[in-house]
Amino acid sequence: FMSPSFLLKKYHGGHVVIRLALGGATNRPFYRIVAAYNKRARDSKYIEQLGSYDPLPNTQNEKLVAFNYERIKYWIACGAHTTKPVAKLLGLAGFFPLHPMTVTEAERRQKAALTEEVKTDSQQQVEQKEAL
Amino acid sequence: MLRALSRSPAPVVSLLSPRAAVLVETVRGRKSRTDPKAKSKLGRIKTPPPVDPGEMVVLKQRYTEYSLILRALRLEFKEQMLRKKYEEEVGSVAEERAKREEEEHRSLMALNDAENLRMREIREQRMQQEAEAAELKKRDADILRQQELENYIKEKERHILLLQEEAKDFITPENLDQRIEEALDNPKNYNFAIDKEGRVVKRTAFQR
Repeated sequence: FMSPSFLLKKYHGGHVVIRLALGGATNRPFYRIVAAYNKRARDSKYIEQLGSYDPLPNTQNEKLVAFNYERIKYWIACGAHTTKPVAKLLGLAGFFPLHPMTVTEAERRQKAALTEEVKTDSQQQVEQKEAL
Repeated sequence: MLRALSRSPAPVVSLLSPRAAVLVETVRGRKSRTDPKAKSKLGRIKTPPPVDPGEMVVLKQRYTEYSLILRALRLEFKEQMLRKKYEEEVGSVAEERAKREEEEHRSLMALNDAENLRMREIREQRMQQEAEAAELKKRDADILRQQELENYIKEKERHILLLQEEAKDFITPENLDQRIEEALDNPKNYNFAIDKEGRVVKRTAFQR
């Protein structure tokens, strides 16, 4: 099904992306931040590894991320795109501006927490009234 | 019936399952074009997630800002990289590198010259010594040869003198008759034995 010529094809109109390549084991993901061609498979041969991201928090309750800023600068200068998660991570790291969705998600969560609080407060009030 | 688009190499028949059920690993597009809709999904109307217009406006503004900043960053990085490349190839970095290399070259050449000089001194001394040794050897060989020559000449002269001495006893045409008569007059008898100590024995076994 996968002919050898498919793998050796010269890419026409492809571009470089900085994205997360998944590795690790079952129920234990681990991402490598990688510069690869757009058409390559997610985990297959990449051009250069630019960092890593561990989505599961460690014993100190921290999620570890690593970046090689020099090389990221080089690839962005050469015209590489970034995927959404990579852009979000870079925004949180301070290298990029904060992604709009990060801010929006945070606002949504805050609003949801506020409504929950208001609802529980009103529920408690109703229960108190019934008790009296 | 339900023909599964099996990505797995094993054919559907070998899998332990009733024919009607579709049993493959979760793969996008399990159902083919002709498969009917599932009973639980018959009345389903798919709606997109609800959009808050106020939030959407704010979000659009944020996105424009974000893309602006990103584009600026990209151009900035590009400029930095070009500048660095230019510096390295043409500008200050290249000059410094050239200067350093020249200095290194000069120092290495100086080292090389010093080394060559030293080796030359040593070599000259060695050559001198060898020349002297060869000179001595030649002289010795000459002396030896000279002596050999002299010995040879002496030997030959001795031979000549001996020969001259012997020449007096030669038989010449003038002496011929005389010598023949002499030989006939004096018969010599060699019929004797001699041992290592020099004792002569004239009496032999077959004496008649």
